[in-house]
Amino acid sequence: MARTQRSAESAATSAREIVEPSGDDTEFVFFSGKGGVGKSTVSCATATWLADNDYETLLVTTDPAPNLSDIFGQAIGHEVTAIDGVENLSAIEIDPDTAAEEYRQETIEPMRELLGDEEIETVEEQLNSPCVEEIAAFDNFVDFMDSPEYDAVVFDTAPTGHTIRLMELPSDWNAELEKGGSTCIGPAASMEDRKREYERAIDTLQDDERTSFAFVGKPEGSSIDEIERSASDLGELGIESQLLILNGYLPESVCDDPFFEGKRADEQAVIERAREEFDADATATYPLQPGEIAGLDLLADVGGVLYDGAEATVDVGTATDVDGDGTEHVDSDGAVDFESMTDADAVVDQLTPGEETQYLFFTGKGGVGKSTVASTAATKLAEAGHETLVVTTDPAAHLEDIFGEPVGHEPTPVGQENLDAARIDQEKALAEYREQVLDHVTEMYEDKADTQIDVDAAIANVEEELESPCAEEMAALEKFVSYFDEDGYDVVVFDTAPTGHTLRLLELPSDWKGFMDLGSLTKGAAPAKGDQYDAVIETMKDPERSTFAFVMYPEYTPMMEAYRAAADLEDQVGIETSLVVANYLLPEEYGDNAFFANRRAQQAQYLEEIRDRFDAPLMLAPLRRDEPIGLDELSAFGEEITGLADVAEADAPEVTPS
Amino acid sequence: MTELTLYEEAMCCSTGVCGPDPDDELVAVSAALDQLEDAFDDLEVTRANMQHNIDQFLETKRIYDRVQADGPSVLPITVVDDEIVAEGEYLSYDELTAAIDGSAAPQEA
Repeated sequence: MARTQRSAESAATSAREIVEPSGDDTEFVFFSGKGGVGKSTVSCATATWLADNDYETLLVTTDPAPNLSDIFGQAIGHEVTAIDGVENLSAIEIDPDTAAEEYRQETIEPMRELLGDEEIETVEEQLNSPCVEEIAAFDNFVDFMDSPEYDAVVFDTAPTGHTIRLMELPSDWNAELEKGGSTCIGPAASMEDRKREYERAIDTLQDDERTSFAFVGKPEGSSIDEIERSASDLGELGIESQLLILNGYLPESVCDDPFFEGKRADEQAVIERAREEFDADATATYPLQPGEIAGLDLLADVGGVLYDGAEATVDVGTATDVDGDGTEHVDSDGAVDFESMTDADAVVDQLTPGEETQYLFFTGKGGVGKSTVASTAATKLAEAGHETLVVTTDPAAHLEDIFGEPVGHEPTPVGQENLDAARIDQEKALAEYREQVLDHVTEMYEDKADTQIDVDAAIANVEEELESPCAEEMAALEKFVSYFDEDGYDVVVFDTAPTGHTLRLLELPSDWKGFMDLGSLTKGAAPAKGDQYDAVIETMKDPERSTFAFVMYPEYTPMMEAYRAAADLEDQVGIETSLVVANYLLPEEYGDNAFFANRRAQQAQYLEEIRDRFDAPLMLAPLRRDEPIGLDELSAFGEEITGLADVAEADAPEVTPS
Repeated sequence: MTELTLYEEAMCCSTGVCGPDPDDELVAVSAALDQLEDAFDDLEVTRANMQHNIDQFLETKRIYDRVQADGPSVLPITVVDDEIVAEGEYLSYDELTAAIDGSAAPQEA
């Protein structure tokens, strides 16, 4: 115990050294991590701790659905706002959508003089590209990376490796800029203006004296794996990840049955592994609380644990407020009846294929159990006699681990009758796309009458252009679209990629199609391509043929992220969400104490909110002792998810015999 | 010193390698311009597209007037030393060489 305490103290000392300003220069602290891991909580606690230690501190969030207001109990918004009750602390919530829109309007404004409304509209649509959003997002960081009036600036989001790579302006693009041309990262002229600012921002990011990169994650194997991947992306850009915070481990005192004792043991093993393997200067942990972390007292508790080596206070005595909103499914004993909140028949309706091939999309952020749910659904559909293909577009895919069988770029059987699996192999997809583009260009020059053009040099130019991150995205998209042409399946289940990347992938067909219609981006685009994209979009929009299921767990951030993503999908592509999967519901038979009663009531409350926000039937999936691995476990897990157990019965016998 | 300026429509990516299929015209003109820069010592090539270089459109009266009169369909406009040598289409490498050598008669003054 003494040893543990000592090591907690020394971990806190290093954690403190990482986030504290080291000299006269402003210290920038970035927190990275997926939604729902407590990134905002940790950022707020860190900012509060710094302010309490007499550092003039600014907290910046670029979360599209910020909850700083809930955490501090006061309205914040788009302006720098002083936080009540904490001296030296201010905060600002930047809405990235508004920022992107401002950026667009700034670009368009001068054109109004020259162009008519219709033409302006065309340009506006063009500016609606993912790349523009990425530049605008990076601008949000750059704007605050020159803040000499603060000792410390804490960002509750960090730029990704992808974004930094975009902003580093690869050398061949620099050449393009000099000529005044434009690249897909955007306005050469304005890039030129801001180039020095971007360079300085990237220099600062790479200076570990001035900048601290911290990752926040849950004590789960997959969470650590993902953090390691992101950290290594950043490492390649010369950015070191210095601090790892594992948030939300089960407190020992509340784990009094084998289920939760086992889960706790797993978490502790993951924490141990992370301490040993993750190349950070310090690792800190904070336990799960019975409720959500809000208010200055709890924030001070978090800060004290992370940076002063204090013991965490977990007060489980607080009784649940059963009179509150959305808790009518909690009975007088505090038991929660999750089942009463859903309709299995409506779920089965959405899952069962009709005459034509049915497309089933499971989407959502990383860490919500999307791949497992998609694989489970595919397994149950195949068991029911439907020819099924499950495809992951997630570059961090682990379908191989889930099925315990190799899964490649092309559909391959995974041991269950009627079931094949595939994953988009980014490298292969890129190679295929490059070949396709280069073939096209070579062919083009064969037909050209230009006598003096150096064809080899022209092709080399194009090859260089294909090094861009945009090409990677196009490559993945091409492969995604190609899975719609796979013949012989009754159902194709997509496990789509995590984060905004997924949705962009899904939205791209309609974006690019938009460009083609406008005619100015790809004047010479082959009509066949346009038709293929059209067909894919039509299929995705047709509720008879496609089902979009958002996977989340019933907590604030995961719910809001899914809700926003669903709204985007509907606005931009016209796709409606037809199912919601609520994962990791606490089982009734375990965790019989006030702590878990509180957590269950909280889940019920968010389930209610999810039901209100999404007009779609709920698929409920329980928290498991272990993630299901292999067909037997997947099949058993399927029995516990709303609707999946009934797929067989609902199945009409007319489907292709196996 | 010869100046070659290309005024182009609003576009995201002037290289042509962007999107599901490369844009043939843009790929060809990008390659042609690169090669021209190598072939002619005192040639300065500038590309201006309406989305990213709107200032150049607003400041160059002749271009401004042309676009305002006929709309963006008049683009691309190729200018060699203040002389408009082409409108509404991209020139090939051979045509550009000819225009620079001054052997091609300007289409419009």
